[in-house]
Formats: sequence, structure tokens, C-alpha cells
Amino acid sequence: MNDVAIIGGGMTVFQRRLKETGKELSYLATKMALEEAGITKKDIDMVVMGSAPDAFDGIHQKGENLLDGAAGAGKPYVRVFNGGGTGVFAPIAGWWHVASGVADIALVVCEEKMGNCYPHPQTAFRHIWDPILDRPLSPNLVWLFAMEMNRYMTKYNIKKEDIARVAVKNKRNAVGHPCAQLPDENITIEDVLNSEMMAWPVQRLDISPPSDGASALIFCSKDKVRQFTDDPVWVDGVGWNIDSTMWTNRDLSFPRYVANAARMAYKMAGIHNPRKEIDFAEPYDPFDYKELHHMEGLLLCNKGEAPILTREGVTERDGNMPMCPSGGLLGVGNPIAATMGQKICELYWQLAGKAGKRQIPTDPMVGVGQAWGDIMQMATVAVLRRG
Amino acid sequence: MTFLEKQTDPTTPMHWTGDMQADYFYSNGVAGDRFFKHLMKKDTFLASECPECGVTFIPPRLYCEDCFCGIPDDKWVEVKAQGVIRTNTTAMIDAHNEPLEEPVVMALIEIDDTDGAMLGRIKTDMLGMDLAGLMVKAKLRPRKDREGTMKDILYFEPY
Repeated sequence: MNDVAIIGGGMTVFQRRLKETGKELSYLATKMALEEAGITKKDIDMVVMGSAPDAFDGIHQKGENLLDGAAGAGKPYVRVFNGGGTGVFAPIAGWWHVASGVADIALVVCEEKMGNCYPHPQTAFRHIWDPILDRPLSPNLVWLFAMEMNRYMTKYNIKKEDIARVAVKNKRNAVGHPCAQLPDENITIEDVLNSEMMAWPVQRLDISPPSDGASALIFCSKDKVRQFTDDPVWVDGVGWNIDSTMWTNRDLSFPRYVANAARMAYKMAGIHNPRKEIDFAEPYDPFDYKELHHMEGLLLCNKGEAPILTREGVTERDGNMPMCPSGGLLGVGNPIAATMGQKICELYWQLAGKAGKRQIPTDPMVGVGQAWGDIMQMATVAVLRRG
Repeated sequence: MTFLEKQTDPTTPMHWTGDMQADYFYSNGVAGDRFFKHLMKKDTFLASECPECGVTFIPPRLYCEDCFCGIPDDKWVEVKAQGVIRTNTTAMIDAHNEPLEEPVVMALIEIDDTDGAMLGRIKTDMLGMDLAGLMVKAKLRPRKDREGTMKDILYFEPY
């Protein structure tokens, strides 16, 4: 396989963007990435689009609709999607376009426009369930995740305030992010614990907001990368794994599919001891407990230990193992696939020293990003390293 | 090998019925907003011209999909709501395989002074025949009734 570097990233502001179409959002992010890399559409060999369910935008086969805004017209172009896992799976697809040697430069664009769907994007999630066993009971995702959160808290005797601490950290981290939807430098644990109860134990401020936005990244082969930068950021390892749709047969306290994906990525990256060899992480945090769950799934600590490390400040931006220095989904927003912006673009910007106010002060060399999706079953992981 | 067993009545197996209800707002977008707001006040179209390759887009775009550059405000141009048919069909059945009450002539219309074409219905008695080259112009709703959607263009008709 060929070595693959990242040479540019772009990201729109995340918020309810009623004004732009999905393809206009894609254009804005793509243009930023092209400018950061110092290239034009002509230099792009192939394009990957990541976008989650068609039901958000309300356009069937929306990849085809979005392509002209993603510099895909007239190019080899493919859309990949696996629900919430898409934000890291699309860059994995960008990586394999270059690693395989079929492309020297691949552009990855991720777009989501959840604001089209009303009365709420959760409407789209009504149709992801098994139609025979689950749907007749009218569940929704927040209820299911509430049960997973409860199981995690009960098994490891975790207090709610230790989960709320993640929401506080990430919303504060997002203060330095120019694309952030919900930054809040003054938020407290009490604010989270006093917010509206949605489905016990999940409260309003435990959850990231639905959003609209787009992000983009440019992947480049080792042969070409020196034309663009002397200090490349490399994709060292990728992994993905999906567990059974029969989620009812799992314990739910530990995301074993995340661990499987992480092991795949670490093996490729030559990482034997992730706790020592990884400097920071962007675990997927659509809920505050999910950052903790995923920190454990990524094998960055023992089971049940993530809340303790968080309480001790280890996961703060200036801690020993920063988590979600971008502000994550909780602080920057959650336009599903476009969260590539926090999970992989952020790794690139941190490792390239381009993270501005969010820059981790300890000069990190290796970061891991992860996304999670479908019915508590999909994990996508990528390890990036400064060159 | 051929499978001979065939079930055509969907209610025969034990089942449960459901729908996939989801409703949408489709905003016109930045370029679309400008196009439709113009159309609500005037009887012409707006197009946008790429500053690099000179291609004139109709409906107008915010960017050129080939040069991948933005299209600045001074490159938006007003064009007549008329053009020439490139290709057409006369539809007799709808998507549910039901006969239409009236046949629909639908065409791709190359809009004058642009490099683009628009989909439109044609008001004509010339059914079931090729209308390529026919010059047509848009019949718009009365201005007071316009809503800023494609439905403000009632149809195109020969002139």
C-alpha cells in the first residue's frame, strides 16, 4: 500500500443553515480545503462524498445531487455512508483511493443538511428499526441511548455529574472553534444536571444538537506530497467494524465493535500500546457518555476508568490525554457525516499546528479519531501522525 | 432453474403495516433565492456567468462546477424567459401506470443567451412528435400570485 498524507481541510460553520442548499454547503467546504492545500479541481483525481441517510436532506440518492458542489462533476466519484460512522468512514475511503494507487490526490467531502427534515430530524430515525420487532413499539434513538447510558453507569457505578463533566469540557473547548454551534465558556456541571430531562438519564445538555454543515479533506500520495508541504500529516492506520443489528443480544456497557476497529487501525499504524503512543483523541461524542464509552472502546483506558480520568483533568486540552480538543459534537454541532470536521480535520489541524486557539500545548505527534453509528453497532477509526 | 412459486397478494403472509412518514422544507439556496426573488418581480430569468470559463448557468449557480470558483455579483445577467426546445416527450401515463387525463408535453428548453437548459411543460397541440428547434417562451403566473417556486412558470408555449 502507498503512504497517504493529508494536505488540506475545510469546514463550514455548523448551525441550522436554511439559506444554503446541500450542494452550496459542499462547495463552501470544498473550496476552503482546495485553498488550504493550494490546489484546484484539476489536480483532484477522484472524489469521495460522505453523507448519512437520504431521509435528512429528503433527496433520494443525494450523493448524486451533491456532487457538483463537491468538485465531483466529470470525476470518478463515489458516495459512502454508514450512518453516524460516515464522518470517519468517508476519510477512510479517501485514504484507500490513494493507498491503493488508483489516485494520487483524492478529495473527501462530507455534507449533512438535517434542517430540511421536520418537525425534527429524529423523524428520519423512526425508520431505521427492524420493522417487525422494534418499530411497532415506536422507539426513538434517544430512548435507546438512554438505556445504553444507564447500563454503562450502572455497571461501573458512574455518577451523572462525572458524565456531565464531558459536556462541560467539550462546550468549553468549542469556544475557540470558528465553526461552533454551541460553545459556552461559562457552562457548569449544574447547568447540565438542571437541564430538561428527555429520557432518563439523558438530559438536554447531554446531547449534541442537530445541525447543517459540510467539511472537506484532501488526501495525497507520498510521491506527490512534497510538492505541497514539507511537513505532511500521515494517515498511519484505519479500521472499521460493525456489530450485529441484533443489538438486544449485547451487554451495551462496552462497545466491542469500537475496540475491534481500533485494533485494526492500531495494527496498521504499528501501535502496540495506545495509551502511551497516542497523544490525543477525537472520540465520537454525540452524547457526553459516548466520549467515555468510546475512550474505553479505543483502548485508551480500562473499562469504567474514563470518567475517573476525566474528573482528574487528564482529558482536558492541557491534560496528558486530551479528548475532543475541537469541542466535539457536543460543542461544535452534529451534522452527522460532516462531523469529519471535528473527528479527522481536527486531527490534521492539530498535527499540522493549524488549530489556532484550540491548539494542544504539548506538541502532539499522534492522534486517533473515531465515529460511531447505526443502531449502536458501527465504528470507524483513523490514526494520524505528524511526519 | 425456474422458481414456480409466486405470491401476488401482499396480505397473504403474516405482516405489520407501516409508513415512512417524513416531511421536508427545501430551501431555494443562495443562488436559487436570488433567481426566484427576481422571478417574483419580473418576467425574465436570471443567469450567472463563470468569470473564468465564461459558461452562463441557467438556473444560476453560486459557483462554476468546472472551474470551481465563485461567481461574483457582477456576473449575474438578466435573460429573456424563452428558448429553443432541445428534446421532448409526450407523456400518456403517470408514475403509477395510470392514464393521464390530458397528455403532458415535457421538454428540455435551451434558454436564449445562456449555456443551460431548463425542464418545462409545453402547451401545444403537437402531441407525439419531435419538437426540437421549436422556439418557446414562458407563461408565468400573474405577478400577484407568484410564490418563488418553479410553479411560477405555468408552462412554455410556442411563439
